[in-house]
Amino acid sequence: MGIMLLAIFLVLMIIGVPIAFVIGIVALLGISGIPYTPEATVAMKMVNGLDSFVLLAVPLFILAANLMNSGKISEKLIELALAIVGPIRGGLAHANVLVSMMFAGVSGAAQADTAGVGKVLIPSMLRKGYDKETAVGVTAASSTVGVVIPPSIPMIIFAGLTNASIGALFLGGIIPGILIGVGMMVLIYFIALKRNYPKDAKVEMKVFFKLLLEAIPALLTPVIIIGGIITGFFTATEAAAVASLYTIVICMFYYKTLKFKDFPKILFDTLALSSLSLFALAAASALGELMSYYQLGAMAQEFFANNIGAEWLFILIIIVFFLFIGTFMDAIPAMILFVPVILPTALELGIDPVHLGLIVVITLAIGLITPPYGLCLLLAAKIGNMSTERSFVAVIPYIAIVLVVLLFIAFFPDIAFYIPKMINPSLF
Amino acid sequence: NTNEVDAGEDGKIKIIAAHNQTSPDNPYQTGLLKFKEVVEEESGGKMEVEVHAGTFGTEESELVEKLQLGAADVILASPGFMTQTGIREVDLFSAPYLFNSYEHWLAAVDGKVGQEMAQIINEKSDNSFKLLGYWSAGVRHYYGKKPIESVEDLRGVSLRTQTSGVISDFWKATGAIPSGISWGELYQGLQQDVVDSSENAYPFFVQQAHHTTSNGKYITETAHDYTTRFLLTNGEKFDNYTKEQQEIILQAAEASVVAEREATMEQDEEYKEKAIEDGAEVNEIDRQPFIDIATPILNDFAKEIEVEGLLQQIRSLED
Amino acid sequence: MKKMTNAIEKIQITIGVIFLCVFFGIIVLQIVTRHLGISVVWTEEAANYSFIWAVFMGAAVMVNRREHFNFDFLVQKLKGKKRAYLSIFNDAILFIFNICIFLLGVQVVSEFWNYTWSSIPQMKMGYVWLVIPVMAATMLIYTTSHFVEHIRIIKAKEVHE
Ligand code: NA
Ligand code: NA
Repeated sequence: MGIMLLAIFLVLMIIGVPIAFVIGIVALLGISGIPYTPEATVAMKMVNGLDSFVLLAVPLFILAANLMNSGKISEKLIELALAIVGPIRGGLAHANVLVSMMFAGVSGAAQADTAGVGKVLIPSMLRKGYDKETAVGVTAASSTVGVVIPPSIPMIIFAGLTNASIGALFLGGIIPGILIGVGMMVLIYFIALKRNYPKDAKVEMKVFFKLLLEAIPALLTPVIIIGGIITGFFTATEAAAVASLYTIVICMFYYKTLKFKDFPKILFDTLALSSLSLFALAAASALGELMSYYQLGAMAQEFFANNIGAEWLFILIIIVFFLFIGTFMDAIPAMILFVPVILPTALELGIDPVHLGLIVVITLAIGLITPPYGLCLLLAAKIGNMSTERSFVAVIPYIAIVLVVLLFIAFFPDIAFYIPKMINPSLF
Repeated sequence: NTNEVDAGEDGKIKIIAAHNQTSPDNPYQTGLLKFKEVVEEESGGKMEVEVHAGTFGTEESELVEKLQLGAADVILASPGFMTQTGIREVDLFSAPYLFNSYEHWLAAVDGKVGQEMAQIINEKSDNSFKLLGYWSAGVRHYYGKKPIESVEDLRGVSLRTQTSGVISDFWKATGAIPSGISWGELYQGLQQDVVDSSENAYPFFVQQAHHTTSNGKYITETAHDYTTRFLLTNGEKFDNYTKEQQEIILQAAEASVVAEREATMEQDEEYKEKAIEDGAEVNEIDRQPFIDIATPILNDFAKEIEVEGLLQQIRSLED
Repeated sequence: MKKMTNAIEKIQITIGVIFLCVFFGIIVLQIVTRHLGISVVWTEEAANYSFIWAVFMGAAVMVNRREHFNFDFLVQKLKGKKRAYLSIFNDAILFIFNICIFLLGVQVVSEFWNYTWSSIPQMKMGYVWLVIPVMAATMLIYTTSHFVEHIRIIKAKEVHE
């Protein structure tokens, strides 16, 4: 039965049936194959899968990001980033990474960063003589920090699934996120030397301060979000609404870059983008139900207990597994399906849920830039008008950087835990 | 029809039993494992029970839905969630200070009150639900950032409690502010000052480590709820079993009731000790002022959901 | 057909966006009321259910716009009529799946119609479960219109040959 379902899964996927529907169809076939379960479970489970308060953070963080793009906040951040790192060789590429890191502090979704920053920076990088590979590669790869640096939608979902502290996960993402960003900038520096990319003239202090002052309300967003969560002013889910509300307020009344007539499009884009991954999640819930009929979690636990005793090996297996899953599935359904399966084993091995969360989230972030299904890669390739294959070759060096940081965090978690432990030791 | 009795390929009858607690040493698990043991033993292996601990949905509402659809055969539900199926009368059992001791609770559910309620559930659900037994989820107490010495101490205190009507009415009347935070977000909520306090039975909040948070370490034994849980099966499906199979299920249910209540009693004690060991502070309190607040609320509530007769019976059992 | 699907899509987008705004507003309300010390117990439930409606309405619209992610390398490899045939086959699969989901959705709605919200007992759960058949029905309409489109392409090709 299991093998047949897997075969159907693969065939439907290859002939081009949308992946969310493939998941749903396999769930329906599997459940109808069990004599004592009614098929209506599938319809029921699709609704129940979405009936969780934490999931509301998904569209709300996407809304915040779309507001930032429409309200031209992204562009202000780009100007500031350029003023800071522009004078280094390959300045535009460095700015691309830096602005993604700033953007990450507001948005829990990486795709919006690729779209917003890519639309501005890819054309100007090409104009200034950067080759397409670098323009598209840097744009796609740097957006992955969006889900590592808090706030982060995948982290919220993970916390919801495991009861891990969302505050600790968020704080734990800061150092890995910065490491990834800095690592990419170092790589860019060497590429820039080799290919002799241009650098910008230094900006005057006066101009720099003007830009900084302009960007401050936007840069305050992460402080407000993280601060609000840590102090308990609002929950992580509510923080997503606060981020959107704050962005609306500063764009409409401070920057005056957002008008009422912009809202229908922003809201539709938000609905469109979030319903795609959430519909896949609904279908995945139905498939998860099938997996729980087969008691896969208990099977996994038994398998690991009998065959793999070592923590490091378990972690490596998890990384490889989620790297594979991430190539064709969104982070959210992937976690909904497989985190419950691996969690009992992880707890038994004594792995802290926050540590596990960082590993899973960073691993799945790589899935954002691996084909065939890497949203950020597809978006950047589309903006840069480059084939997916060529784009993937372009991001490989940057994936290597994310992998290095990932392994580092996986085996030396204390580095990532430095900030959360410093701010709130009781989180552990 | 989903309510037919489906025998598997091997001719065995498979019964899916599920509760919403993920911890394997939860009393619910003890109860359902007992159910499984008796069914399989008495049927000589002809009937098989598969127990799902939380893997089948951690939400009770989902378990109830599955029971109705026929996706699960034996489940556990609390009064609040049963109410959501449209049977308002069951909500009486979630009312605070309905029972004043464990013995009082036993006398009610194991006597005529219990029988009457079982009949209501069966009739109002059109035989979708058949009650197999009354389980307990322990005694609920207050726990928060400061101990309660008198009712006045609750004034202005935000308290995480069920969002069902009569419970929130009661806490509002004490001066507390009921707050709707999901169980999953509560640990962080207590830790980060989103809410000042909560209320639950020892095994549940100690397992979630709520007593280790700054807003959960003071436990006041308000004993406002001697909880009732309904062990349910699908009535239409039950009617399709043979007389002999029905007997086996009823016998197993009876055994599970004994096992589950015993496990709950033990754990109530065990987790109270654990909480104290971990540094939580427990105090007792005169419950009469709370009961006085609850009494008129209960009267109105019973009138509203048309169970005044049942309330009278329960009160007459008081010692 | 085109005209009708466009109209349906427009209505569906509007409903989805309204529900999106509703749950956004409710969450803001929840934060504000909690800090004012007022307890509004229905916020979480109402926000959740608006969210569910928004997502499924959005998901149906995305079927019409063919935005649900799929692997298109096989489709891209094929040309002309063969490609249209494969598209028709895929549409047929979606069509059958949606018919199943529609029927199962109707079953679920009728089973759970009288269930009530936990925070507002006057509200029926039926209004929430209704989202499944509505979503499936609209997806069916959109898929049918794709179907018709592909058949037109094949017919056009046949005329050319
Ligand atoms: Na972020
Ligand atoms: Na991918």
